[in-house]
Amino acid sequence: MKKWACAWMAILMVTAVGVSKASADALQEIVKRGELRVAVQTQGPPFSFVDKAGVRTGSSVEFCKLMAQEMGVKVVFLDFDWDGLIPALLSGKADLLAADMTANLKRALKVRFTQPFYYTGSVIFTKAADTRSSLEDFNKESVTVAVLLGATGEAVAKKYLPKAKIKSYKGGGPLLINAVLDGHADIGLNDESAVMGQMAEFPPNSIRILPTKLSKEPLAFAVRPEDSHLAEWINLFFEWVKEDGRYDENIRYWVKSLDWKKDH
Amino acid sequence: MLESFNFLVILEYLPLFGQGMIATAWISAVSTFGALLVGIVSCMMRLSPVAPLRILAGAYIEFIRSTPLLAQLYFFYFGLPTLGIRLNEYQTGILALSLNSGAYIAEIIRAGVQSIPWGLIEAAMASGLGYFQRIRYIVLPQAIGVTIPPLLGQTIVLVKDSALLSLISVMELTRAGQLMNSERFMPAEGFFTTALCYLVLYHLLKAFSTWWQKRLIFRPA
Amino acid sequence: MFVYYLNNLIRTFPFFLKGLWMTIEVSALSLMIGTVIGFGVGIARNARIPVLNHVLGVYIDFMRGTPFLVQVFIVFFIFPEWGIQLDAFSASILSLSVYAGAYISEIVSGGLDIIPGGQIEAASASGLNWFQRMVHVVMPQAMRPILPPLVGQYVLLIKDSSIVSVIGLTDVTRVGWLTVQRIPEGLMVFGLVGILYFVICYPLIHLSNAFEKRLRLQEFKLG
Repeated sequence: MKKWACAWMAILMVTAVGVSKASADALQEIVKRGELRVAVQTQGPPFSFVDKAGVRTGSSVEFCKLMAQEMGVKVVFLDFDWDGLIPALLSGKADLLAADMTANLKRALKVRFTQPFYYTGSVIFTKAADTRSSLEDFNKESVTVAVLLGATGEAVAKKYLPKAKIKSYKGGGPLLINAVLDGHADIGLNDESAVMGQMAEFPPNSIRILPTKLSKEPLAFAVRPEDSHLAEWINLFFEWVKEDGRYDENIRYWVKSLDWKKDH
Repeated sequence: MLESFNFLVILEYLPLFGQGMIATAWISAVSTFGALLVGIVSCMMRLSPVAPLRILAGAYIEFIRSTPLLAQLYFFYFGLPTLGIRLNEYQTGILALSLNSGAYIAEIIRAGVQSIPWGLIEAAMASGLGYFQRIRYIVLPQAIGVTIPPLLGQTIVLVKDSALLSLISVMELTRAGQLMNSERFMPAEGFFTTALCYLVLYHLLKAFSTWWQKRLIFRPA
Repeated sequence: MFVYYLNNLIRTFPFFLKGLWMTIEVSALSLMIGTVIGFGVGIARNARIPVLNHVLGVYIDFMRGTPFLVQVFIVFFIFPEWGIQLDAFSASILSLSVYAGAYISEIVSGGLDIIPGGQIEAASASGLNWFQRMVHVVMPQAMRPILPPLVGQYVLLIKDSSIVSVIGLTDVTRVGWLTVQRIPEGLMVFGLVGILYFVICYPLIHLSNAFEKRLRLQEFKLG
């Protein structure tokens, strides 16, 4: 009995230490430490991916490099599957979550989102040869929809295609395109910005994106709920880079066009 | 830690875990059956006097044993479509599990067959039994008796291996835990419940194995 | 198209070698730590200390009764909730070592059990205490039944190390998984991954068999 009590005391104390550490000002911690730790997607072009040279880059990655420069620290990128990003942030592995993550209300219960840095929407994509194009065509039990595990696509699919079979893939956006091309799923549902950037990795003209935007998704970075100083700083950062043109350059190069494909 | 352990959410997800456990059970059952088929056939090929069959089976077994199941699973999942073979994830998973366990089962059966005293086979040959009759009436029955315990062991391994199927989006027990993590951000509740379910399956199978072995011992000679 | 992909794959080869090195690193470290744990637990179990035996039994039961994948998820996702922060590399080594330790301990205690009781009695009759018995009489003999299955277990663990790829550790399996998303030729990519594992594991399996044959011959010699 006593042994149990001691073991539980030890565990509770370790937890208490863990919790108390988190309530110190994260931004000042980062500056003191000299290092900004960012959780990014392993493979989610054009926001975060590893290019041909084996270097991690992408829209979100480049924004974070700029942030670290302005903070005067170096930046370390930790990559995760999509569904591992928020756990990584919450557990303290990373200070900041930088991805094309939709700032929805459910997630906002757990994390603190910064101001949205981009607006996109969910789209459906199919094999190029597929001629179906209306929601009714896809809202059938015989249709399989590929979505990303832990992404807003899951909820959007359930809302617009309630009768279809929904298959969640653990990993990143490219897996969905892979699934549709391989025939594991009939259609895929993901953010337009993600699909556009990712289909460039596959043979040209193999995927066709349907024009209907099913939802409006504000994309934002995230920090832990108590890190208000860090969140405010990041918001201010985006204000500044929007003013001096660096934001426009980033978004134009990575998200609005496929210019990045030439170099990466 | 226990204060924050949310039992209510576990109750909410219980049907999902039930679904997952049933999926794990039937996938394991079908794969075990498949593995037995593969194992028996490749064992016979391995022991056959025909050299090409022997080498082919040998190569297959050595390659399976020297590579991880996960790599094999990904090989089939990402590779078969490039050949034009379109299987769904369940089929791909069962294929990979069957081929993987099949190689180990082939070795288990081979050990069992080779443990049969040569004198017994000689006696069978002297009694005028042909090759296939010898296999059917003398070799296989003896081999099966010896090999059942390791076979049941391999079945337990297969049930645990089936967890890897969650990585190719098969809805089974481990996937239930992953969903709880990604939907509710509660890894502790999710994965501990998953672990508990596997422990239940493990102990059921172990109990069956022990019961079977007792049965073997007490069988009248 | 095929040639285009093949070219891409050849260019990515260094990445595969990096992954292979990671696999070797993780496996080697985990095997070393796991062996230490395994011998410790195995000897302790053999000593049959009342409460400790039970606790260790629960540990081994958990390791053997749950899939390694689930254990990895627990270490990576749940430990942080208890304040234990681990990156992918440390989490991999921790879970693989603990997992390996359980299986190795079974091999060790199995080997120890084979030592005839008469030897132990003779040793204690000769005035040797428990520690001296272990070091001079039991362990040298136990090595014979322990070594071959131990090497076999090492091979199993190198293969199981592929599972840590799911928490983002860039071992050779993960390199394959990442590559196949950019070079959608599954056969080529995972064929390469398979060959790389084969190159490491196949020799080890035959080492284990050779060990077994040699040690069995030795047994016959000693009569």
